[in-house]
Amino acid sequence: MNLHIADYLIIIVYFLFVIGVGFIIKKKIKTSNDFLTSGRNIPLWITSLAFISANLGAQEVLGMVASGAKYGIMTVHFYWVGAIFAMVFLGVFMMPFYYGSRARSVPEFLKLRFDEKTRGLNAISFAVMTIFSSGISLYALAKLLEVILHWDFDVSIWLAAGIVMIYTFLGGLTSAVYNEVLQFFLIVLGLSPLVIVALHDAGGWHNIKTLLQPEMTHAWKYMGNADSNPMGINFMSLIFGLGFVMSFGYWCTDFLVVQRAMMAKNMNAARRTPIIAAIPKMFMPLIVVLPGVIAISLMQPALASKGFSIPSDGKGGLDYTMALPALISHYYPTGLLGVGITALIASFMSGMAGNVTAFNSVFTFDIYQSYFVKNKSDRHYLIVGKMVTVAGVLLSIVTAYIATSFNNINDFLQLVFSFVNGPLFATFLLGMFWKRTTGHGAFFGLLAGTLAAAATHGLTLAEGKGGWIYPLYEIHSGMGQAFIVASVSWIVNFCTTIIVSLFTRPKPEAELIGLVYSLTEKPSYHQDKWYLKVVPLGIILIVATIILNLIFF
Amino acid sequence: MYKKLSNLGFVIGIFFIIISLILIIGGLLSSTLAYKLNFYTGFTFLLFGILMTAFNRNNHQQNQN
Repeated sequence: MNLHIADYLIIIVYFLFVIGVGFIIKKKIKTSNDFLTSGRNIPLWITSLAFISANLGAQEVLGMVASGAKYGIMTVHFYWVGAIFAMVFLGVFMMPFYYGSRARSVPEFLKLRFDEKTRGLNAISFAVMTIFSSGISLYALAKLLEVILHWDFDVSIWLAAGIVMIYTFLGGLTSAVYNEVLQFFLIVLGLSPLVIVALHDAGGWHNIKTLLQPEMTHAWKYMGNADSNPMGINFMSLIFGLGFVMSFGYWCTDFLVVQRAMMAKNMNAARRTPIIAAIPKMFMPLIVVLPGVIAISLMQPALASKGFSIPSDGKGGLDYTMALPALISHYYPTGLLGVGITALIASFMSGMAGNVTAFNSVFTFDIYQSYFVKNKSDRHYLIVGKMVTVAGVLLSIVTAYIATSFNNINDFLQLVFSFVNGPLFATFLLGMFWKRTTGHGAFFGLLAGTLAAAATHGLTLAEGKGGWIYPLYEIHSGMGQAFIVASVSWIVNFCTTIIVSLFTRPKPEAELIGLVYSLTEKPSYHQDKWYLKVVPLGIILIVATIILNLIFF
Repeated sequence: MYKKLSNLGFVIGIFFIIISLILIIGGLLSSTLAYKLNFYTGFTFLLFGILMTAFNRNNHQQNQN
């Protein structure tokens, strides 16, 4: 693929805008809270789009297209099972606690609800996870630029990381969030023409259904038996592993996304942030799953004349991660090619900057300020926050090299999530809805859950991964392995937390007001119109999601 | 001007207007860019950019009033 002047011009305009946003926001940064939490002053439409954009990184865009090509339309489960319900739950039930507690981060909320050690454990594991996620975004972009544009892998990593570092260093969280919204529009508008043209070229959805095996075009029909669908899992594993444990673990407890809702101007806006975000999220499969299904259809013998192919992985299989770049290269002419490449670069930056800003908030407030240097001036923490931003980018570069050993980056990411997020939702569920849950229970539950995740991964083998303790049980796909690891870790955490809590002393009820559901006054917005209330909006979203599942059953 | 640039919707609108102009004007001036897909996408971006800019300018004026 060769870029021309117009393509480079579009990429340069984009770089100038993202860096320019950093310089504009820099003038507003006066305190550590401005830099690390945006001072809770961001409008609803920005928090909502930033909420899904933080998740719209390279691993989402490239990884979901890859999964669409590998697993077929079943990949929509990551949206219609694994996102919308959890986002509604977050808005309706959990945001009042996060926002109302005035905590600056999720680990800080854990400190308020439980104790210092639970916060420390969560803060450290979250910091590790964000750095891994950020590194995967970086790896994805560098690999993309190497394959498509023949840029040097190492140079791409350092150049791309440098640009993210500039605008996050200048404007902190606000700069990252503003750029995430710009990146959201660029990704959606930049990739939409590709979907339209490629779908038309493949003969439309009806033709795709006749070309592919039926299990590739049905979301639920072949989920009864793990052996009869490409993901290699049955519907129970999917609903519990993805739809409950991983989905709620990610959308309801991952500070990277929750942080976007916590920036809202008031409680009502904070609660509506994930609800409003769920609307575009519901339709994202059109942009990130459908292209993968189209790509694999175009490789069927009947469409061989189209001349499209997904590159080989060098081991006799297909390199699914390259499905989207291959489509862009095949269909986009000069000019639009620049837009497509810029959209991919934007997706990388969105994912990486989101992780880096979440990392610097948690590291500065929950690790540095809590354990190392307390009671310093605000300016001190502002400087530390900026230094941590630089350190976060450098650590991301290291993890980017670790990610090179996986052929489907989405599998790798799900594995990392399952270690950290899998058990976490059990802690929040018990902490928010059972006042008897104790700090010791939460801490040992989290610890046991994470160890259970590691042990399960070590005892199961999928696509040559895992089984590092003993390959006791073989699973068809890496994705299925991630669901099982997450499920086991959640159950172990849930049981351990209950058992330990029953043998330890809980906090007095007076200290739990605003942190536990039964002890907290419920917010009421009777004066608001229905479309300003989270419950009616949430019900509409759930009904629409169920209908979508039925259409693609 | 700084206040306008602080308005994210305005910035996004300007960004898409610039990109659309590269696609449309480039397509008119150079055969390398003269593809239907570039024109269709360029006009869509232009429309979106103008709407974002106008909408956010109105919002900005209402906030000032």
